[in-house]
Amino acid sequence: MTRFAESTITFPYKRSLGPVVGAFMTALTDKRILGIRNGKDILVPPMEWDPTTGAELAPDFVEVGPVGTVESWTWVPTPSVQHPLQHAFAFALIRLDGATTPLLHAVDGGSSERMVEGLRVAPRWRGTRVGRIDDIICFVMGEVPETDGGDTGAAQEPVQRMDYHASITYRNPVPAATDRAVVASRNRRLLGLRCPRCERVYAGGKGYCPVDAVELGPECEVDLPTVGTITNFAIVTPVSYPGQTETEPFVRAFVLLDGTDVVIGYSPVIELPADEVRVGQRVAAVWASPAEEHDQEGGMGGAWGSLLGWMPNGEPDIDDPDLVNRIF
Amino acid sequence: MSATPCAVVGVGQTHHKSRRLDVSFGGLVREAVFRALEDAHMTLADVEAVILGKAPDLFEGVMKPELYLSDALGAVGKPMFRVHTAGSVGGTTAIVAASHVHAGKHRTVLAVAFEKQSEGNAQFALGSGRGASLGAGGAFAPFIRAYIRRSGAPEHIGWKVAVKDRLNALKNPYAHLRIEDISIEKVKASPMMWEPIRFLESCPSSDGACAVVLTDEAGGKAAAADGRPPAWILGASSRSEPSSFPGRDPVRPAAAVQCAADVYAQAGITDPRHQVDMAELYVPFSWYEPIWLEAFGFAEEREGWRLVDDGTTELGGSLPINASGGVLSSNPIGASGLLRFAEAANQVRGAAGEHQVEGAQVAVGMAYGANNQYFSTWVVGSSLSPFAG
Amino acid sequence: MIARSPENAISRDIAVVGWAQTEMVRHTDKSETELLMEVITDVLTQLDLTRADIDFTCLGSCDYITGQAFSFVTNLDAIGAWPPKRDSHVEMDGAWALYEAWLRLQEGDIEIAVVTGSGRSSTGDPMLIYPMEMDPYFLAPLGADPLTFAALQARAVIAAGIADERSMAEASVRSRGKGDVDALLATDYLREPLHRHDVPPITDGAAAVVLATGPRARQLVERPAYIAGLDHRTECHNPSFRALDDSPSTRIAAEAAGLGDAPVEVAEVQAAFSHEELLLRRVLELGDDVVVNPSGGALRSNPIMATGLCRIGYAANHIFGGGNRALAHATSGPCLQQNLICILEGP
Repeated sequence: MTRFAESTITFPYKRSLGPVVGAFMTALTDKRILGIRNGKDILVPPMEWDPTTGAELAPDFVEVGPVGTVESWTWVPTPSVQHPLQHAFAFALIRLDGATTPLLHAVDGGSSERMVEGLRVAPRWRGTRVGRIDDIICFVMGEVPETDGGDTGAAQEPVQRMDYHASITYRNPVPAATDRAVVASRNRRLLGLRCPRCERVYAGGKGYCPVDAVELGPECEVDLPTVGTITNFAIVTPVSYPGQTETEPFVRAFVLLDGTDVVIGYSPVIELPADEVRVGQRVAAVWASPAEEHDQEGGMGGAWGSLLGWMPNGEPDIDDPDLVNRIF
Repeated sequence: MSATPCAVVGVGQTHHKSRRLDVSFGGLVREAVFRALEDAHMTLADVEAVILGKAPDLFEGVMKPELYLSDALGAVGKPMFRVHTAGSVGGTTAIVAASHVHAGKHRTVLAVAFEKQSEGNAQFALGSGRGASLGAGGAFAPFIRAYIRRSGAPEHIGWKVAVKDRLNALKNPYAHLRIEDISIEKVKASPMMWEPIRFLESCPSSDGACAVVLTDEAGGKAAAADGRPPAWILGASSRSEPSSFPGRDPVRPAAAVQCAADVYAQAGITDPRHQVDMAELYVPFSWYEPIWLEAFGFAEEREGWRLVDDGTTELGGSLPINASGGVLSSNPIGASGLLRFAEAANQVRGAAGEHQVEGAQVAVGMAYGANNQYFSTWVVGSSLSPFAG
Repeated sequence: MIARSPENAISRDIAVVGWAQTEMVRHTDKSETELLMEVITDVLTQLDLTRADIDFTCLGSCDYITGQAFSFVTNLDAIGAWPPKRDSHVEMDGAWALYEAWLRLQEGDIEIAVVTGSGRSSTGDPMLIYPMEMDPYFLAPLGADPLTFAALQARAVIAAGIADERSMAEASVRSRGKGDVDALLATDYLREPLHRHDVPPITDGAAAVVLATGPRARQLVERPAYIAGLDHRTECHNPSFRALDDSPSTRIAAEAAGLGDAPVEVAEVQAAFSHEELLLRRVLELGDDVVVNPSGGALRSNPIMATGLCRIGYAANHIFGGGNRALAHATSGPCLQQNLICILEGP
């Protein structure tokens, strides 16, 4: 049965808005909607450039709406978490009074039967507005704008940036070769796959040879030694970002396994402070205890399974000037 | 090259900064585009196709931004193409743009590349949102350690490159880092980030864009006749190799060596050290200068650092490298490669301003990406046959 | 009227000589790299070529579908780029990778290119991923998703009399080779006016196409599918500023690719939504005598980032099978923002 690895990419992006989008967003906090003049057109949403020719538009803003007419719509019976409303609603192209192009936004229409082209709609404003398109929660039927909750008023300063929070979860199947490597790791075995053509051996559940571009199945498996020598390393000073797990400088070492041509790259080290790691150091694999095996956050992750990293095994260093070149 | 010749007739770039909070996405790229068009004495209407390059979409959280930017770039009704080859992307963007002209498909095309790093976080994106991201420094530090040990280069080489490029940046009005009091002591005293890479031996994180107008032989000759010298593309090449397999050497990657051999053969260069007047090499960490000097044939293996040490690669030296200040001074990642190509073009056009290498007739622009895997390079000349006679 | 093509500067003969696709499934356990490895091997084997014969590669894929920055770097492992290869990658459908390779082959110094498109759409929720390709200020923050834009375009196409819900259901039944139109029309709307049958499936898969220049193409296969014309065009991004009942970029690309020069027998159009097929038929002026989407099209399988490239592959099948002239179409972006037209001809 296929296992899946889930990962969520989530980041609070901060967008700078520039002069035109910035002016529009600033006006939104004051419950005003701006279009921009482009020849005979009043573009809403306003653009910095002519959408057809790319010509720069002068900052000639025109207040439009806030009431408008639905030109087209579609009913969203089951909203996504990103949608403006969390109950069934319409996405509509709304031509605000005074504009010559329609704005896409949500209409809280109750049911699809009530939606019709030509419907008059007005904004439902958020009480606290920050200068984002969703300061308008949605549009409601009729000619009368609404405000949701207490009105905290317009922004004191021009709005120059907006937050965009994206979060997407991915669910990837764990490849068979990876899965076999993980299972072997539970028994303290480090599996490699030997390419039948070039004889290169790959560790880490890489189920193919990138040189010959062939898949490597179970018949290619070999057991690898779990003792080796540090050939090279990186000491990373962590910077902070959403999702960062590290706060102190951490080591990622390259370990050449004894008697093989296999280097395990970017491996954590254990009980080896960053200022003591060196080329030529002898190390042995450190495995998770059965209790730790279920902790997905620990160790090297992915195909390494129960292999947590490497620690010095007490043997004297190896002095070989070519070792440092064995990064791959 | 048997295909139709191609010339650079316009170059533009933004003022690069850590945060260009004054502009939108569109505003940022348009700033570079309009400078390039003005330089080419053209308007958006003269452009037949637009080729856009940038690094991963995760940097800004806009997926396939060529879609959003189509109208900002005046591409409506035209071909709009998007390239992404990791850090080399800016260079590949120029090469793909040139391909449009070489093939005879279009007369005049616009290559654009940008990154707006301030919208997100590069370390976050490089780690695909997971913790313990190595960042580029963590990924490249082992390569640099290997280079230092195999070449026996003294540690001040890294400091010297860091100082040289920042001094060059002071002559480039568009450069991001302007460290007036840059010195060996200052570099040496800066924090160790990814041993052996110090903070001031590292590139900044920038918002910025670059645009290049490329045209055919007739267009290039017309510009020349009008007193606006073009840069002629004498050779262009890209090469890639897999990230990891036993025996792979990231310090002297075969892809880099082959990429160099390919462009030099196209350009008729047999002795790059003496036939090339200057190069813009993609050097995000100072030690990459000697590494690429070797892989790109400007120095023998393990000897590249000597060209740094004896001042050959300084602006007044016989082979200036990164006269613009390079990636070490401005790094809008997706645009960094195109900036190398564009700066090389400006040098042979005599249009590099205060950081002009006197008499430059042949220049190399080079970019690389991923784990020293993706390479793109072009050779540009002040004429189509600079070595004749 | 699709005008005749302007005088074409490009004359070098370049042909599709073979292509392969993986099994197209709702979900595969294989990684994108494994899919590519398999499909590249398949197409080379058909042609009795090896990876060493490839002069140039161009891959088409998308980080946000994979959920990994630089996902194409891993995919390079599928090429066997050792010794290193001339190589490129586009964050676009493989049809555009083919466009880049076609330009590159025009330069005349190389003979064989492999282009791919690949994507595993099953990994994430398209409703959450695709808003990220929309206008970052006005549309993405609303979670404006592809179904919404398709529905709004369908409404415009219906209002213009180009389609109705019945003709859309008929297109769906033709594509999928199953279903009863009346029964389908009785189902609930997914996104009015779209029913579930108007909407593409989620598909994992990859495709690879081999291009070869004239003499080499003739050595490799009896009937190379020559690229008689290839062009792509874009429109402004925000559907608010477009007439959604038309596809001007498709029309310009078709003219530039020479569609008007002679009739085509088969057209493979990337119509992920049923109304798109009807709109594209209208814009491309395809008569009733043109067989549209004999493959079943994107409504049958929709491996995003490969869907467009597969259209070129299927159009090539028509030539390989003895046909004379076929059209392939690929698209990207909301409401057919960007469109590519490839005309293939027999020897």
